[in-house]
Amino acid sequence: MNLIDIRNLSIELQTATKPILAVDRVNLTMKEGEVRGLVGESGSGKSLLAQAIVGVLDDKWKVDADRFHWRGQDLMRLSLEERKVIISKDVAMIFQEPMACLDPTTTIGEQLEEAVDTEQLTGFFWQKRQQRKQAAFTLLHKVGIKKHEVCVKSFPHQLTDALCQRVMIAMALARRPILLIADEPTAAMESTNQGQIFRLLASLNQLKNMSILLISHDLENVTHWTNSITVMYSGQFVEAGTTEQIFNQPYHPYTRALVDSSPKANMQIPNKSRLMTLPGSIPILQHLPIGCRLGPRCPRAQQKCVRAPKIKNFHGQQVSCHFPLKDNYS
Amino acid sequence: MFIFTLRRFNLFFFTMLLLTILSFSLSFLFPGEQLVNLTGQINATPEQLAVLANEYQHQAGFITQYFSYVSHLFHGDMGYSMASHLPVATEILNRLPATIELTSVALLVAMFVGIPIGFFAAIYHRKTPDNIILGVAMIGYSVPVFWLGILAILVFSIQLGWLPSAGQISLLFEIEHVTGLQLIDILLSDSPYKWQAFIDATRHLILPVIVVALAPATIFMRLARTAMLEVLETHYIKAAKAKGLTFWQIIYRHAMRNAFIKVIRDVGLQFANLVTIAMVTEVIFSWPGIGRWLIESIYQRDYTAIQGGLIVLSTFIFIVHIIIDFVYAALNPLAREPRHGA
Repeated sequence: MNLIDIRNLSIELQTATKPILAVDRVNLTMKEGEVRGLVGESGSGKSLLAQAIVGVLDDKWKVDADRFHWRGQDLMRLSLEERKVIISKDVAMIFQEPMACLDPTTTIGEQLEEAVDTEQLTGFFWQKRQQRKQAAFTLLHKVGIKKHEVCVKSFPHQLTDALCQRVMIAMALARRPILLIADEPTAAMESTNQGQIFRLLASLNQLKNMSILLISHDLENVTHWTNSITVMYSGQFVEAGTTEQIFNQPYHPYTRALVDSSPKANMQIPNKSRLMTLPGSIPILQHLPIGCRLGPRCPRAQQKCVRAPKIKNFHGQQVSCHFPLKDNYS
Repeated sequence: MFIFTLRRFNLFFFTMLLLTILSFSLSFLFPGEQLVNLTGQINATPEQLAVLANEYQHQAGFITQYFSYVSHLFHGDMGYSMASHLPVATEILNRLPATIELTSVALLVAMFVGIPIGFFAAIYHRKTPDNIILGVAMIGYSVPVFWLGILAILVFSIQLGWLPSAGQISLLFEIEHVTGLQLIDILLSDSPYKWQAFIDATRHLILPVIVVALAPATIFMRLARTAMLEVLETHYIKAAKAKGLTFWQIIYRHAMRNAFIKVIRDVGLQFANLVTIAMVTEVIFSWPGIGRWLIESIYQRDYTAIQGGLIVLSTFIFIVHIIIDFVYAALNPLAREPRHGA
């Protein structure tokens, strides 16, 4: 059974003149215990998609989907409140810029304690206080913070970015989620700290069978930690498949360009040669191309591309392109 | 925290320096003899003037004169009022507590009414409550205070007869002067009519406080609304939502404190405005405060009183400002520490 199964999810930005389709019919499926990467340039709508799943988008955004199943349960049939209850119980999210995501005037301890689920506590209300405190300590231990006494008394600005992210993960763990959505958890972090956070996430995945949706703009980095990858471009679904499929034989011209643009250590590049890149840049929301949004930048684009392509399936690798690079690999 | 305190004292010191220089130079700028302006002794004989000139080191340079003026100030000697021939310091000490009472109650009322209403408006952003509150705030802010005061007296004291129109307390009650703050004095006294006196004093306080508090309250409303809207947009509110807290939990635990911190910073600035409004209101309601006395002194060209009143009133405003700064620091952990690298 799929953990999460989303079909044709669209997100519209309600503006004064006309609504802008920021995310255009994106599909996302995840199995239990899977680590899936969601890759795309900045502005490709990956954070929006994640926030839509968790339901923290504000009124400006309108979310619509053909199918939104959570562990076999159809969430589209439930009311907004019921959906929120289910989602906030099982799905947790950590954000980029962890420091900005912690209330600057409240101590870490208080913020951790309020995240602890009341249902996990037993006994009378005077015992619960102590239990909450204990639960906060355990959570900190789980994410590898040993000096819990100091940590709970600190304010967010007194900790480093990596520690703040650990605290955010601890908070996310408080409700014992089945799915953790990590929205660029290591953006603006040093590489040693990045490694620590990724290793922590990987161990959580292995030990607790927690599924992780890892959002990143860096394909290279994500491949080390994920089983499967979904690629997005400018709010559209591009390609999905296992990490090996995406990395070794991308079918979509965009994925191909993404893989080619990241230099590898064993790659032989002549001195002063140009790296493979696509011409142009990601379109702004006000001027989105019709059909396949990669069209204007795509080396294989033809007249057909003004209509949005249907998704094709090659051995579990889904591609949304009229002219996939299939023949290249045979 | 130590550095924070040190900085505030530093600021206090330099502000006082500038204030005393201003006040000292006023005695030169006002028409008439400088020494007379400074001491307020208009009917002094030439011998007395010679003694005073010696006391204020009138023959020495300006800087020495200034320092002798400051040392007089420190000894509580601000000269004599030209109008009443009483020491200015005594006059001020008799009147300042009434102003402190009026302004501090008005400030508290403005804060406790304005800020929650502003938060409420922000929570219902772009909905009917928000629009109504903004409209009311606009009206409240644009009403001239003297007109509002007179209107309040006309309606509530004369037509409806609910509240007294003038003074601080009914003349029937005799309250011993201990701290000068009327309400506290009443509570301290052992008169058998203590509670009647307390109620009477409160009734006298209501109208002027409302008149003084209205304009600042509307400003606080708008400040609080903007602050709350800003806070609701931040990442940590979004993260708290993702954590599964309900909307009201987020408002109570995270949004209110952060928004309040943003507002409290501006409260100190608004206090100067509030004191100005209080001065006008004191005239309308015959409140025996320093504002009314200062305005009367201006009418009577009582230069010594103007100088003294100016210093005391500005010092009062400044002390309140610093107190509010400390409240801000107590609430905001970021302000307490010296910034690293920034």
